[in-house]
Amino acid sequence: MDNLSYIVLICMTISLGLMLPLMEKKTRGVVIFMMIGIFSCLFISELNSILLKAFNNDMFYVTTTITPVTEELIKALPILYFAAVVSDDRRTLISNAFAVGVGFALLENMVILMQNISSVTIFWALVRGFGSGLVHGICTVMVGYGISYIRKRRKLFLCGTFALLSTAIIYHATYNLLVQSSFQYAGILLPIATYVPVLLLTRSKLAPKA
Amino acid sequence: MYQYTLLALTVCTAVGFGYGLFRFFRSKSALYLRMIIIGVGCAMLGRLFETLQLFVNGELSSGFHVGMLGTIGSFLFFFTANYGQMDSIVDDGSKKFKKYRLIGLLAPISVITLYCVAYGFKGFSETSVALGVQSAVTAMAAYFHLKHLVIPDVEYGLIRAIRSYNLLALIYAYLCMAEMIVESTALPTVCIVIVFVLQCAVMLAFVPVLERGVKKWTT
Repeated sequence: MDNLSYIVLICMTISLGLMLPLMEKKTRGVVIFMMIGIFSCLFISELNSILLKAFNNDMFYVTTTITPVTEELIKALPILYFAAVVSDDRRTLISNAFAVGVGFALLENMVILMQNISSVTIFWALVRGFGSGLVHGICTVMVGYGISYIRKRRKLFLCGTFALLSTAIIYHATYNLLVQSSFQYAGILLPIATYVPVLLLTRSKLAPKA
Repeated sequence: MYQYTLLALTVCTAVGFGYGLFRFFRSKSALYLRMIIIGVGCAMLGRLFETLQLFVNGELSSGFHVGMLGTIGSFLFFFTANYGQMDSIVDDGSKKFKKYRLIGLLAPISVITLYCVAYGFKGFSETSVALGVQSAVTAMAAYFHLKHLVIPDVEYGLIRAIRSYNLLALIYAYLCMAEMIVESTALPTVCIVIVFVLQCAVMLAFVPVLERGVKKWTT
């Protein structure tokens, strides 16, 4: 059998790609970024499997130290590029950033689902949906929201970008650490608890000015 | 004992950060202040991860762990705040300030010496590289903290008002180096506990001292 990750990727991206010409410009941008997130996930899954072997299959160490760094860097790259080259409009950056995260989480969840097809339950789906789905979305939104702020302040750009990436990496690593521990419920609650303030903050910034 | 002191340090850093957010992010305030508060926030996140890893795993990962990014980020912010916002106001690059620039160099030299004592002579390892990066950023920040402590004031008393903050930040830099030395040697646990307690005190005092200083800018 061919690699299942590639099969899922083809199924998802062809459907999304065919939808693009029918969409409005702004919505099309969001779907394109979702597809970028899906491709990023495939790239990262290959990279992570190499790293896992390099670190003697120490799953705990790799998922709490290495993969948060690689995943957040790769997911942030298209957003940083978009902010630097195309537009630093806060509304566009936030929606595109969340789309990258959600696209990434979609493929990741699909691949994990197929690897554990015999043992998955509705509860598993809820945990993955609210847990990793939100974590990936929130981490990229942090970068997208922050970059729209620091892009206009040249003196902040270097250390600000580093701080944004560090924040996303530490947040992601904290989630991975908690869900693999005896405090896994705290891990599941972490993204849900963070989503509410992120939603309130971004909605207040996205609200049209009177 | 170690993990509970680290937990206390995380709480103290979070209190400092929360107070800074409350005081300086509600209304428009100088970018310099905001950068320092975000720096404290970075330190808090790093400490939070370290604490969680200690409670979950019983020990911190050897070598690099993501908690280090918090400390690096905090010193990067302190450095950028002083270099980008303050230094051009207090030092015009003329010869009369050369003496103070040279005195300022004592701080990075001592930071790098402390790093060498801790890890520099132990050969190449993942830990020595990660902590080397952290020490380099600490040294860069320490240079401006010491320089701004000794440099004569400009007309408006800008730098004199925040000397206490620069002193505290310099102490914090040395405490981070002390933490590194204690962890690299076989010193008893009480030493790291003392270092953490001192860091708690510095983190709690950081924002109020800065606030007291910047009030003089407007009075």
